[in-house]
Amino acid sequence: MFINIHQQFSSGGRDVRFQVTRLRNRLGHAVRIFGVILLTLGLSASSTKPASPHHIEVVAKRFAFEPADITVKMGEPVDLVLTSSDVNHGVRIRELGVDLRVTKGKKAEANFTPRAAGTFVGHCSVFCGSGHGQMTLTIHVVG
Amino acid sequence: MRHWSIPVALAFVLGLVFVPLLIMLRGIQATPPGPLETRILWGAKHHMLIGNKAQNNPLTPSAASLADGREAFSHYCVACHGVDGQNTGVPFADKLSPPAPSLASRDVQSYTDGQLKWVIDNGIWPSGMPGSRGVLSDDEIWSIVVYLRHLPPAGSVGEPEMYSH
Repeated sequence: MFINIHQQFSSGGRDVRFQVTRLRNRLGHAVRIFGVILLTLGLSASSTKPASPHHIEVVAKRFAFEPADITVKMGEPVDLVLTSSDVNHGVRIRELGVDLRVTKGKKAEANFTPRAAGTFVGHCSVFCGSGHGQMTLTIHVVG
Repeated sequence: MRHWSIPVALAFVLGLVFVPLLIMLRGIQATPPGPLETRILWGAKHHMLIGNKAQNNPLTPSAASLADGREAFSHYCVACHGVDGQNTGVPFADKLSPPAPSLASRDVQSYTDGQLKWVIDNGIWPSGMPGSRGVLSDDEIWSIVVYLRHLPPAGSVGEPEMYSH
Protein backbone atom coordinates (compact mmCIF):
# COMPACT_ATOMS: atom_id res chain seq x y z
CA MET A 1 0.00 0.00 0.00
CA PHE A 2 2.74 2.39 1.06
CA ILE A 3 4.80 1.36 -1.93
CA ASN A 4 1.86 1.98 -4.24
CA ILE A 5 1.27 5.40 -2.81
CA HIS A 6 4.95 6.30 -3.08
CA GLN A 7 5.11 5.07 -6.67
CA GLN A 8 2.03 7.10 -7.56
CA PHE A 9 3.50 10.15 -5.83
CA SER A 10 6.82 9.69 -7.60
CA SER A 11 5.23 9.32 -11.01
CA GLY A 12 2.91 12.26 -10.18
CA GLY A 13 5.97 14.43 -9.30
CA ARG A 14 7.56 13.68 -12.65
CA ASP A 15 4.28 14.72 -14.34
CA VAL A 16 4.22 17.99 -12.45
CA ARG A 17 7.84 18.76 -13.33
CA PHE A 18 7.13 17.89 -16.93
CA GLN A 19 4.07 20.11 -16.96
CA VAL A 20 6.02 22.99 -15.39
CA THR A 21 8.84 22.66 -17.92
CA ARG A 22 6.38 22.58 -20.80
CA LEU A 23 4.55 25.62 -19.44
CA ARG A 24 7.85 27.45 -19.03
CA ASN A 25 8.81 26.68 -22.64
CA ARG A 26 5.45 27.86 -23.93
CA LEU A 27 5.69 31.05 -21.87
CA GLY A 28 9.16 31.74 -23.23
CA HIS A 29 7.92 31.21 -26.76
CA ALA A 30 4.97 33.56 -26.18
CA VAL A 31 7.29 36.22 -24.75
CA ARG A 32 9.53 35.95 -27.82
CA ILE A 33 6.54 36.29 -30.18
CA PHE A 34 5.24 39.24 -28.15
CA GLY A 35 8.66 40.87 -28.40
CA VAL A 36 8.77 40.41 -32.15
CA ILE A 37 5.28 41.95 -32.44
CA LEU A 38 6.29 44.92 -30.30
CA LEU A 39 9.43 45.44 -32.36
CA THR A 40 7.45 45.29 -35.59
CA LEU A 41 4.89 47.76 -34.28
CA GLY A 42 7.63 50.08 -33.09
CA LEU A 43 9.36 50.05 -36.45
CA SER A 44 6.15 50.66 -38.37
CA ALA A 45 5.20 53.47 -36.00
CA SER A 46 8.55 55.13 -36.51
CA SER A 47 8.21 54.82 -40.31
CA THR A 48 4.76 56.56 -40.28
CA LYS A 49 5.98 59.43 -38.10
CA PRO A 50 5.17 62.79 -39.82
CA ALA A 51 8.02 64.09 -41.96
CA SER A 52 9.85 67.14 -40.66
CA PRO A 53 8.61 70.38 -42.28
CA HIS A 54 10.22 71.73 -45.44
CA HIS A 55 12.19 74.65 -44.05
CA ILE A 56 12.46 77.62 -46.42
CA GLU A 57 14.19 80.90 -45.67
CA VAL A 58 13.29 83.94 -47.76
CA VAL A 59 14.99 87.33 -47.58
CA ALA A 60 13.04 90.43 -48.56
CA LYS A 61 14.73 93.56 -49.81
CA ARG A 62 13.71 96.47 -52.01
CA PHE A 63 12.18 95.30 -54.39
CA ALA A 64 12.49 91.52 -54.52
CA PHE A 65 12.29 88.33 -52.51
CA GLU A 66 15.26 85.98 -52.55
CA PRO A 67 14.46 83.29 -53.60
CA ALA A 68 11.41 84.57 -55.48
CA ASP A 69 10.36 81.19 -56.80
CA ILE A 70 9.80 78.16 -54.56
CA THR A 71 8.51 74.66 -55.23
CA VAL A 72 6.92 72.55 -52.48
CA LYS A 73 4.98 69.29 -52.40
CA MET A 74 1.26 69.02 -51.83
CA GLY A 75 0.57 67.70 -48.32
CA GLU A 76 4.10 68.42 -47.12
CA PRO A 77 4.29 70.76 -44.13
CA VAL A 78 6.19 73.96 -44.93
CA ASP A 79 8.00 76.19 -42.50
CA LEU A 80 8.46 79.57 -44.21
CA VAL A 81 10.79 82.03 -42.52
CA LEU A 82 10.91 85.64 -43.75
CA THR A 83 13.65 88.13 -42.92
CA SER A 84 14.33 91.63 -44.23
CA SER A 85 17.69 93.10 -45.13
CA ASP A 86 16.56 96.71 -45.42
CA VAL A 87 13.15 98.16 -44.53
CA ASN A 88 9.83 96.77 -43.33
CA HIS A 89 8.37 94.19 -45.66
CA GLY A 90 5.69 91.54 -45.63
CA VAL A 91 4.28 88.76 -47.74
CA ARG A 92 0.72 87.65 -48.17
CA ILE A 93 -0.48 84.60 -50.07
CA ARG A 94 -4.21 84.38 -49.50
CA GLU A 95 -4.66 80.88 -50.93
CA LEU A 96 -2.08 79.38 -48.56
CA GLY A 97 -3.08 81.42 -45.53
CA VAL A 98 0.32 83.12 -45.36
CA ASP A 99 0.42 86.65 -43.96
CA LEU A 100 3.78 87.75 -42.58
CA ARG A 101 5.24 91.13 -41.68
CA VAL A 102 8.83 91.70 -40.79
CA THR A 103 11.12 94.52 -39.71
CA LYS A 104 14.83 94.70 -40.49
CA GLY A 105 16.85 92.18 -38.52
CA LYS A 106 13.79 90.29 -37.28
CA LYS A 107 12.20 87.02 -38.38
CA ALA A 108 8.63 86.09 -39.07
CA GLU A 109 7.52 82.53 -39.58
CA ALA A 110 4.51 80.84 -41.18
CA ASN A 111 3.66 77.15 -41.04
CA PHE A 112 1.30 75.73 -43.60
CA THR A 113 0.53 72.54 -45.47
CA PRO A 114 -0.57 73.07 -49.07
CA ARG A 115 -3.67 71.01 -49.82
CA ALA A 116 -4.00 71.77 -53.53
CA ALA A 117 -1.56 71.82 -56.41
CA GLY A 118 -1.05 75.04 -58.33
CA THR A 119 0.94 78.23 -58.56
CA PHE A 120 0.29 80.83 -55.89
CA VAL A 121 1.65 84.36 -56.09
CA GLY A 122 2.19 86.43 -52.98
CA HIS A 123 2.98 90.12 -52.81
CA CYS A 124 4.81 92.35 -50.41
CA SER A 125 2.14 93.49 -47.98
CA VAL A 126 3.96 96.44 -46.42
CA PHE A 127 4.45 99.47 -48.62
CA CYS A 128 8.19 99.78 -49.19
CA GLY A 129 8.66 102.23 -52.05
CA SER A 130 8.33 102.73 -55.78
CA GLY A 131 8.81 99.06 -56.75
CA HIS A 132 6.62 97.67 -53.97
CA GLY A 133 3.93 96.46 -56.38
CA GLN A 134 6.45 94.32 -58.26
CA MET A 135 7.69 92.39 -55.23
CA THR A 136 6.28 88.91 -55.72
CA LEU A 137 6.95 85.52 -54.17
CA THR A 138 5.74 82.59 -56.26
CA ILE A 139 5.08 79.21 -54.66
CA HIS A 140 4.55 76.21 -56.94
CA VAL A 141 2.75 73.35 -55.22
CA VAL A 142 3.28 70.08 -57.06
CA GLY A 143 1.41 66.81 -56.54
CA MET B 1 -0.50 132.01 -105.79
CA ARG B 2 1.88 134.85 -105.34
CA HIS B 3 -0.61 137.23 -103.71
CA TRP B 4 -1.00 134.77 -100.74
CA SER B 5 2.66 134.60 -99.90
CA ILE B 6 3.00 138.08 -98.37
CA PRO B 7 0.11 137.80 -95.82
CA VAL B 8 1.19 134.27 -94.86
CA ALA B 9 4.76 135.38 -94.29
CA LEU B 10 3.55 138.37 -92.31
CA ALA B 11 1.31 136.22 -90.12
CA PHE B 12 4.17 133.79 -89.55
CA VAL B 13 6.52 136.56 -88.41
CA LEU B 14 3.86 138.13 -86.20
CA GLY B 15 3.14 134.75 -84.65
CA LEU B 16 6.81 134.15 -84.11
CA VAL B 17 7.10 137.45 -82.27
CA PHE B 18 3.78 137.83 -80.53
CA VAL B 19 3.12 134.34 -79.23
CA PRO B 20 6.33 134.19 -77.19
CA LEU B 21 5.75 137.79 -76.10
CA LEU B 22 2.24 136.90 -74.92
CA ILE B 23 3.53 133.88 -73.02
CA MET B 24 6.22 135.96 -71.37
CA LEU B 25 3.73 138.59 -70.31
CA ARG B 26 0.85 136.40 -69.14
CA GLY B 27 2.36 132.97 -68.53
CA ILE B 28 0.42 129.72 -69.10
CA GLN B 29 -2.85 130.18 -67.33
CA ALA B 30 -5.64 127.67 -66.97
CA THR B 31 -9.09 128.91 -66.15
CA PRO B 32 -11.82 126.70 -64.74
CA PRO B 33 -13.79 125.03 -67.55
CA GLY B 34 -17.30 126.23 -68.36
CA PRO B 35 -20.38 123.98 -68.12
CA LEU B 36 -20.13 122.89 -71.76
CA GLU B 37 -16.44 121.98 -71.48
CA THR B 38 -17.16 120.11 -68.27
CA ARG B 39 -19.97 118.14 -69.86
CA ILE B 40 -17.94 117.25 -72.94
CA LEU B 41 -14.96 116.15 -70.88
CA TRP B 42 -17.15 114.17 -68.48
CA GLY B 43 -18.62 112.23 -71.39
CA ALA B 44 -15.23 111.72 -73.01
CA LYS B 45 -13.64 110.43 -69.81
CA HIS B 46 -16.49 108.14 -68.80
CA HIS B 47 -17.18 106.69 -72.23
CA MET B 48 -13.98 106.98 -74.26
CA LEU B 49 -10.79 107.84 -72.43
CA ILE B 50 -10.98 105.75 -69.25
CA GLY B 51 -10.88 102.09 -70.22
CA ASN B 52 -11.54 98.78 -68.47
CA LYS B 53 -15.22 99.58 -68.02
CA ALA B 54 -16.43 95.98 -67.90
CA GLN B 55 -13.97 94.44 -65.44
CA ASN B 56 -15.43 93.53 -62.07
CA ASN B 57 -13.62 93.77 -58.77
CA PRO B 58 -12.38 90.27 -57.89
CA LEU B 59 -12.46 91.18 -54.20
CA THR B 60 -15.69 90.86 -52.30
CA PRO B 61 -16.38 93.86 -50.09
CA SER B 62 -15.82 92.75 -46.50
CA ALA B 63 -14.37 94.13 -43.29
CA ALA B 64 -11.00 92.58 -44.24
CA SER B 65 -10.86 93.90 -47.83
CA LEU B 66 -12.04 97.32 -46.63
CA ALA B 67 -9.26 97.39 -44.01
CA ASP B 68 -6.75 96.36 -46.69
CA GLY B 69 -8.01 99.13 -48.95
CA ARG B 70 -7.83 101.73 -46.20
CA GLU B 71 -4.25 100.73 -45.49
CA ALA B 72 -3.18 100.67 -49.15
CA PHE B 73 -4.85 104.07 -49.66
CA SER B 74 -2.87 105.42 -46.72
CA HIS B 75 0.48 104.67 -48.41
CA TYR B 76 0.45 107.77 -50.56
CA CYS B 77 -3.03 108.45 -51.96
CA VAL B 78 -3.68 110.40 -48.77
CA ALA B 79 -1.07 113.01 -49.74
CA CYS B 80 -3.50 114.50 -52.31
CA HIS B 81 -6.86 112.96 -51.41
CA GLY B 82 -6.79 112.97 -47.61
CA VAL B 83 -7.45 109.99 -45.37
CA ASP B 84 -11.16 110.23 -46.12
CA GLY B 85 -10.67 110.54 -49.90
CA GLN B 86 -12.40 113.92 -49.72
CA ASN B 87 -9.30 116.13 -49.49
CA THR B 88 -9.69 116.85 -45.78
CA GLY B 89 -6.51 118.47 -44.49
CA VAL B 90 -4.75 118.57 -47.87
CA PRO B 91 -3.46 122.14 -48.07
CA PHE B 92 -3.05 122.29 -51.85
CA ALA B 93 -6.02 120.19 -52.97
CA ASP B 94 -7.88 123.13 -54.51
CA LYS B 95 -4.72 124.71 -55.90
CA LEU B 96 -3.92 121.84 -58.24
CA SER B 97 -4.99 122.28 -61.84
CA PRO B 98 -7.46 120.72 -62.10
CA PRO B 99 -8.17 120.60 -58.35
CA ALA B 100 -8.04 117.18 -56.68
CA PRO B 101 -11.63 115.90 -56.84
CA SER B 102 -13.53 114.52 -53.90
CA LEU B 103 -13.50 110.78 -54.43
CA ALA B 104 -16.99 110.63 -52.95
CA SER B 105 -18.30 112.93 -55.72
CA ARG B 106 -20.72 111.75 -58.37
CA ASP B 107 -18.06 112.34 -61.01
CA VAL B 108 -15.76 109.75 -59.44
CA GLN B 109 -18.36 107.37 -58.07
CA SER B 110 -20.03 107.03 -61.46
CA TYR B 111 -16.98 105.24 -62.86
CA THR B 112 -17.27 101.45 -62.81
CA ASP B 113 -14.94 99.46 -60.53
CA GLY B 114 -12.90 98.49 -63.57
CA GLN B 115 -12.50 102.14 -64.59
CA LEU B 116 -11.40 103.13 -61.08
CA LYS B 117 -8.79 100.38 -61.28
CA TRP B 118 -7.70 101.73 -64.68
CA VAL B 119 -7.35 105.26 -63.30
CA ILE B 120 -5.25 104.05 -60.36
CA ASP B 121 -3.14 101.90 -62.70
CA ASN B 122 -2.56 104.53 -65.37
CA GLY B 123 -3.29 107.90 -63.82
CA ILE B 124 -5.04 110.70 -65.67
CA TRP B 125 -2.89 112.83 -67.93
CA PRO B 126 -2.48 115.83 -67.83
CA SER B 127 -3.94 116.12 -64.34
CA GLY B 128 -1.74 115.49 -61.32
CA MET B 129 -3.09 111.95 -60.88
CA PRO B 130 -0.13 109.55 -61.30
CA GLY B 131 -0.34 105.91 -62.36
CA SER B 132 0.40 103.36 -59.65
CA ARG B 133 0.94 100.21 -61.68
CA GLY B 134 4.04 98.52 -60.30
CA VAL B 135 4.04 100.75 -57.25
CA LEU B 136 1.02 98.98 -55.81
CA SER B 137 0.05 95.38 -56.47
CA ASP B 138 -3.18 94.53 -58.29
CA ASP B 139 -4.55 93.16 -55.05
CA GLU B 140 -3.90 96.43 -53.24
CA ILE B 141 -5.42 98.49 -56.05
CA TRP B 142 -8.59 96.40 -56.03
CA SER B 143 -8.78 96.78 -52.27
CA ILE B 144 -8.49 100.56 -52.74
CA VAL B 145 -11.47 100.35 -55.09
CA VAL B 146 -13.39 98.64 -52.27
CA TYR B 147 -12.37 101.49 -49.96
CA LEU B 148 -13.46 104.12 -52.51
CA ARG B 149 -16.93 102.57 -52.55
CA HIS B 150 -17.13 102.77 -48.76
CA LEU B 151 -15.50 106.09 -47.93
CA PRO B 152 -16.02 107.42 -44.41
CA PRO B 153 -17.89 110.69 -43.90
CA ALA B 154 -15.81 113.76 -44.81
CA GLY B 155 -13.59 114.86 -41.96
CA SER B 156 -14.40 111.86 -39.76
CA VAL B 157 -10.97 110.21 -39.86
CA GLY B 158 -8.65 113.15 -39.35
CA GLU B 159 -5.99 114.64 -41.57
CA PRO B 160 -2.92 113.10 -43.21
CA GLU B 161 -0.21 112.81 -40.60
CA MET B 162 2.39 114.36 -42.91
CA TYR B 163 0.70 117.78 -42.76
CA SER B 164 0.49 118.02 -39.00
CA HIS B 165 4.21 117.81 -38.15
